[in-house]
Amino acid sequence: MKRTEKSWIPAFASMTGVGALGSLPILTLFALPLLASLFFSFEITFDRQAWQNLLAHPQLWSGLRLSIYTGAASTILALAAALLIIIGAYESKSWHNLPATMGAMLALPHLALAIGLSFLIMPSGILARIVANIVGWQTPPQWVTTHDPYGIALIIALAIKEAPFIVWVLAGFLNREDIRQKFVLQRAAAQSLGHGTGSIWLRIFVPQLMPKLIWPLVIVFVYAATVVDMSLAIGPTQPPTLATVIWADINSEQVVNNARGGVGAIFLSLALLMSLVLAWSFIIVTKPIWKNIMNAGPSTWAAPVFAGHTKLISLEVFYVLIAALLFFMSLAQNWPFPNLVPTASLKPWGTIFQNPNALITSIVLATLTSFTALSILLLWLEMMNQKTDRIILWLSLALLGLPAILVGLGQYRAFLRFGLTANMAGLFLSHLLPVVAYMAIVLVGPYRAIDPRFSATAKSLQASTLKFFIAIKLPLLKAPILSALAVGFAVSFGQYIPAQLIGAGRFSTLPIEAVTLTSGANRPLTAAFAFLLMLPPLLVYVAAARFGRSRWSNS
Amino acid sequence: MNFTRRSALQLFAASSLLQFAPAYAADWKAIEAEAKGQEVFFNAWAGADNINAYIAWAGDEVMKRYGVKLTHVKITDTAEVVKRVRDEVKAGKADGSVDLVWINGANFKAMKTEKLLFGPFADALPNFALVDVKGKPTTTKDFTETTDGLESPWGMAQFTFFADGAKLPNPPRSMAELAAFAKANPGRVTYPAPPDFHGTTFLKQVLVEVTSDRSIFAKPTDKVAFEILAKPCLAFLDDLKPSLWREGKQYPKSQAEITQMVADGELLIGLTFNPNEPANLVAAGTLPKTTIAWQHSGGTIGNSHFVAIPTNAKAKAGAQVVANFLLSAEAQAKKNDLKTWGDPTVLDVSKLSGDDAKMFAASAVAGSVTLPGPAILEPDASFVPLIESTWLSHYAKG
Repeated sequence: MKRTEKSWIPAFASMTGVGALGSLPILTLFALPLLASLFFSFEITFDRQAWQNLLAHPQLWSGLRLSIYTGAASTILALAAALLIIIGAYESKSWHNLPATMGAMLALPHLALAIGLSFLIMPSGILARIVANIVGWQTPPQWVTTHDPYGIALIIALAIKEAPFIVWVLAGFLNREDIRQKFVLQRAAAQSLGHGTGSIWLRIFVPQLMPKLIWPLVIVFVYAATVVDMSLAIGPTQPPTLATVIWADINSEQVVNNARGGVGAIFLSLALLMSLVLAWSFIIVTKPIWKNIMNAGPSTWAAPVFAGHTKLISLEVFYVLIAALLFFMSLAQNWPFPNLVPTASLKPWGTIFQNPNALITSIVLATLTSFTALSILLLWLEMMNQKTDRIILWLSLALLGLPAILVGLGQYRAFLRFGLTANMAGLFLSHLLPVVAYMAIVLVGPYRAIDPRFSATAKSLQASTLKFFIAIKLPLLKAPILSALAVGFAVSFGQYIPAQLIGAGRFSTLPIEAVTLTSGANRPLTAAFAFLLMLPPLLVYVAAARFGRSRWSNS
Repeated sequence: MNFTRRSALQLFAASSLLQFAPAYAADWKAIEAEAKGQEVFFNAWAGADNINAYIAWAGDEVMKRYGVKLTHVKITDTAEVVKRVRDEVKAGKADGSVDLVWINGANFKAMKTEKLLFGPFADALPNFALVDVKGKPTTTKDFTETTDGLESPWGMAQFTFFADGAKLPNPPRSMAELAAFAKANPGRVTYPAPPDFHGTTFLKQVLVEVTSDRSIFAKPTDKVAFEILAKPCLAFLDDLKPSLWREGKQYPKSQAEITQMVADGELLIGLTFNPNEPANLVAAGTLPKTTIAWQHSGGTIGNSHFVAIPTNAKAKAGAQVVANFLLSAEAQAKKNDLKTWGDPTVLDVSKLSGDDAKMFAASAVAGSVTLPGPAILEPDASFVPLIESTWLSHYAKG
């Protein structure tokens, strides 16, 4: 019937309002390409031969064991460290700067941290050189520090890298005005019941924090269990983690191996999902036991504030040390053991500044993607109902919660089909996806937390929506918007897989330069690039933290 | 004889090829004309800044001389390119993202078998006449796979060992001597884990040295035959394993990592496919001036590396012009020069004019090979997957 044909448009508009227009940019630039990528990620699920080959792979089970165990151990360690830091810093002098400090730590790329850490602990590293100079060794000791078969070095590196992220999430939550007030009241009540500070954290605060951490912890775990670059730099080698095995297969010139790697990525994702389900069931089943501990009578146990402080300071010292070490290494042309000081040369920096195109491309790309992501997110948030936010949040979680190697491959297949490889559009779009995902997670919470009474007041004062947005909302949201921009910038700046797969390596970005040079193990040049990968995101984070301070909280 | 128009045309074409050989000079002019203004995306491993600098130099030159823009697409592993071309061809992408690729061995075999390469073109390059096809048989035989003009030779390689001569005055000249050395110096020798190709080559070298009848390596092998061949090789490796770095429980992932550990003093012996790399690293200040380099007295595996043009390349003419330039005496001499890259030439220097030949004259410098051995041809490509999977299930299962 003609009538229905004509009438569905106004019907749709009246159903969702003109506001639906605000969803168009994010749906076309983010949701659509992402869904296509996810679809193509599972395209090869039913390749029987590939599954048989995978199950016959001699490193499958040992690799899987290593992946799950390094992922879980590093997540637990990072969580413990983060809670300790939060307890130590909460309401102390360092609390105010905590998000900025953690943000700066987030700016250090994973690979750079692994490279720096390995140079600290490896048999010809700084520590061994110091010992050698005291004891009088002439050759490096036969330490099994980096690439140890148990993945301890990898676990430590991952935990150090992920702890700041968890602290950052927690600090964001604890800084919310409603939470702050609630905690003050709860603490007063608990204290009058005879609880010590430690008991209050354990029994009252931490149980309220944990639900906020479920998704961040899932992301951290999946990231840690599927990381490739860090594992190659510092992880176990024979057998390596499963992600590394898959990565080698995916990059093989043999079609058979590519297929095996493809189903391997699906297998790893399923295995991780199963471990998460198991962990979740374990928590549910043991809940009565937890409850018993939680409900136990008042204890005067004091919070480990000192340990938390020490942890924070040692983490800060460590990050500064790694950054300094990277810079130092970039100058070390020839450095025979056990000399403490190398023959220095500025050659790597000369090489870099001779051709700064990669640096410029990366900065331009990161700026463009983070501002595009911000605009389409703000459009969505302004024009769409809060209830629909979950579409964007679930898509973001799907992108970040699935192994990057799996989604990366799917994205490549999808983009190839639509002519989006080896050109600027594809490069831009492939960088935009993770940027939107991370920024959505950072921005949506604070945005929707704005007190609706502000908008009601503005409306009663006859202010237009636009005026309210510019005069009230933006200033209120200055801090989360700036930190979302900083996160987006850093995420775009660190992308290697899209630049290699989608960009076909044609556009020289900084990660392309850094990763290709790492394959040659030219240490000074690798260190210089690692340092350079850290610097722009670090500056952006510091700037965001500096300008993001609200006018009222300075006092 | 049934003379159809088609066979007449074929006959004409054949005779023109036979009788008017200079005709391709005119063809070449046409290719050069077509190449002008094209952009050639050269996909090449980019792990060494001296090689990257050489490619940048070649880019400047072909722009000056032929108006061809050469863009170095930096990659970590040539297999990436094989995959990309395969995917693009499968997806029907005619204007491929790769115009020229640095390639050899298994990657070439895969592309040749799957018909992913443009050509034959190499024999028609004017400078191909300078190549030492007789004296350097690997320039037309890539890991026992005939090149059939589908790739143009670029450089020569031979498995070479190096060490600090101050610590190691009498280097081991065979695998048996290397094992004895490792036992006397436990934890100071190792090789990269396959499928890193230096690691695979190390294993090939062991295989070749423990096998008496080497003719077997020229032919394709299968699982059953290989198992018998592998026995003495595994016995050798089992015996060597406890004396290796970290008792053979862990292996470095690349040759470059081993080089760095030799420079640090953690390992005593390094290995490379470029006989001039140690000298080059001495010149760059990474290795000490007392560095020595050698090959096994019974010979070591040798091969060549090439450039090839994918079948869906967009700038095929430009790619051929670049390939031809890379074969010129000037480009080969600069590549041969230790100060730039030190990659041995594929040309027959005796065919060159006096001035051109002079550019190749080299004096012995610190780190150059002082104890050379003959080159041994690569085993058939069918050996590679078997070597790798056998090694994996014996030494890397965990």
